[in-house]
Amino acid sequence: MTKHYDAIVVGLGASGGIIATELARAGLKVVGLEKGAFYKEQDFLTKFDEIRYYCRSAMVPHMRTDPITWRSNNKKEAVVLPWASNKLGLGDPFQTPPSIGTGGGTRSWGAASFRFRESDFKMRSLIVERFSESALQDDTTVVDWPVSYEDLEPYYDKVEWELGVAGKPGNINGEVQEGGNPFESPRKRDYPMPPLPRAGADKLFTEAARKLGYHPFATPTGIATIDYKGRSACTNCGFCHGYHCHVGAKLSTHELVSAANKETDNLEIRQYVRVFKVNRDSSGHVHGVSYFDSEGNVVEVTADIVILSCYALENARLLLASGINESGHVGKHLSIHNYGWFTGIMPEITNPFMGSLQSGSVLDDLTSELIPDNEEGVLWGSPINTWTGDMQPIETVHSLPPHVPKWGKGLKDWLSENYRKLFKMYSQHSTLPSEQFYVDLDPKVKDPFGQPALRITHDWTEYDRKTVEYFMKIKRQLAREMGMKDWWEDSPTPNYHVTVHDTGTHRMGWDPAASVVNPYGEVHECKGLFAVGGGQFPTLPSYNPTETIMALAYLTSDHILGRSAVGKVEKMEVI
Amino acid sequence: MLDFQAYMYFNQEEAKTIEAIASRFIPSEENSPGAREAGAVIFIDRSLSGFYSHLQTFYRKGLALFEQFCEKKFGKQFAELSVEQQDEVLHDIDQLRAKMEPSVANIDEENLLLVQFFSVVYEHTIEGTFGDPIYGGNRDGVGWKMIGFPGAQWRYSPEQMQLGYDSKQIEIKSLADIQKLGASALKKEVLK
Repeated sequence: MTKHYDAIVVGLGASGGIIATELARAGLKVVGLEKGAFYKEQDFLTKFDEIRYYCRSAMVPHMRTDPITWRSNNKKEAVVLPWASNKLGLGDPFQTPPSIGTGGGTRSWGAASFRFRESDFKMRSLIVERFSESALQDDTTVVDWPVSYEDLEPYYDKVEWELGVAGKPGNINGEVQEGGNPFESPRKRDYPMPPLPRAGADKLFTEAARKLGYHPFATPTGIATIDYKGRSACTNCGFCHGYHCHVGAKLSTHELVSAANKETDNLEIRQYVRVFKVNRDSSGHVHGVSYFDSEGNVVEVTADIVILSCYALENARLLLASGINESGHVGKHLSIHNYGWFTGIMPEITNPFMGSLQSGSVLDDLTSELIPDNEEGVLWGSPINTWTGDMQPIETVHSLPPHVPKWGKGLKDWLSENYRKLFKMYSQHSTLPSEQFYVDLDPKVKDPFGQPALRITHDWTEYDRKTVEYFMKIKRQLAREMGMKDWWEDSPTPNYHVTVHDTGTHRMGWDPAASVVNPYGEVHECKGLFAVGGGQFPTLPSYNPTETIMALAYLTSDHILGRSAVGKVEKMEVI
Repeated sequence: MLDFQAYMYFNQEEAKTIEAIASRFIPSEENSPGAREAGAVIFIDRSLSGFYSHLQTFYRKGLALFEQFCEKKFGKQFAELSVEQQDEVLHDIDQLRAKMEPSVANIDEENLLLVQFFSVVYEHTIEGTFGDPIYGGNRDGVGWKMIGFPGAQWRYSPEQMQLGYDSKQIEIKSLADIQKLGASALKKEVLK
């Protein structure tokens, strides 16, 4: 007889890793089903390797096993996405699908760890109030969140203190803190650790920003800056985003599940398994899942609760492939970030390969509702972030300015002269969810196991272009003030349509007709089934999504365990 | 026994051509090594025998077509041409590439294959010059020395992160050095 579990967690990343750990530590029998490896500490000693992790994408699935197709609109036939359409394996490795293996994206992330702003939870109301209903396009599906900043504050606090986030507070209980972000939504207490050591270029950026009247503050990061709760302090090695951490400084849920697996008898982890279907019983209650093991055998596992936590894209694919979409909202409301990359050469050596990419500062002066009135029609602002470290040589060659020769002595001279002086700025302009952009099952393309590929229908709009342009102007001002000699900008309508910040595909709400999951992540139409992560976001704010994804994961855990303070839903019957 | 540069996949002539192409992408100058000294061709040969084994046929077909192109233009194999002529060949194909939106749906068409061959050898030359030396390229860290990248460093100090710090003072390390440190360092850093 096969074993029956209390809970199955599909994907042990940012949210699944937290939920699996919380449930197991509370005494539930949990099985974590992971498409990638269950890592060992020794695995992380191979990480200083741009060939393996960047060029050959060691931490992300390949398109030959996990195809994703893309088309710009619903009149076109989708093709396998650009990086993958190149059958020689020479696409742009930055535009990768989400990481697999224990910890998921929290192993490879750059670890920018922001809370959203109070206003981010009320995007629709605030836009309508300020600019009127007509400011939003007809096809928009922008809504307010069903939870508020106040609801999530204790969970943000938990992520920052339980898991360890480094930063400088800007607003503690309404009191603005010197040196922090003056626009920050109120927090109850400080961060547990000070920010990362400052990158060489940071001084130039903060001085220039202050001169222009802005308020730079150190980027908050999920990276230990002192030895904290068993994690070692960051060594500034500069192989960070896209790489494992070799000393365990980076906040990753791998450490959580690994410890829970070792210390309790309650968390079993099965690696290299591909879940392809959610199973229900005749009453519509979730019954378990089916997966292919690494030999391709079909295995069925049963449990009272199933948590899908395998990223917004795969979550939507699994729901659709399992025929769960009564509301018609699964896969809709796809919201992604447009980064508005801006790279330049500083007059001095900045050594952009040292330290985390987040060893610099951010401006929040123009974020979200703080965007000034403008003629371009920008409704929602973005931070201006800096990228000061973690730039390896091959990645740098891939983002050369257009006027530099691609090969020959010109390339060699340019790299020799400028590689050590690079500095980047970016923003995170959120697309507005609309009826036009969504994900669904590709009608033709299948993976090697015969399962339908995910199809993305997305294009950048005129609104996106104007928004990115508006912020490019400010980046140019900053660049001039910093004494930058030369700079180049990414297209405001870039060729990527997967961003590792893909969200919205199973949006949460209280109304089963207008959303897929409730704010605890439980799927309205299937009792016991949860779909969690960025897919829950009703709209995408302009900050990195991970801290909010982790905060929501704690909310889901509390709800399942009957500890939730948010809303009125009682402890679940199954427990 | 191993004093002769032997290849796992290429024959000697193919290797010579690849090395010559790589050497035009990142040329060698007096006191300034390029892809040739980095051993980019060794990186490519080993990759084709391992991770990129699915590209073996592509390389062989591409090489034949590429030599044909040179024969048509200058009546000689690529490695026999002067560097100016070599640059001209590569420039021609690069122009072709710029004109062609590389949709890559069909790699059997001649021009497309030529352009792809160019792009792949270029990409692999970059990897073989700036990737970690354990892969057989970037010999003695010459690619990293060229641009001032110290390689696989366990740590940088806040002092080294200061504006203007000359990173060329730092001794270049490879992944081999990290793995040599291995378990003992890991224990010290992680399990203390």
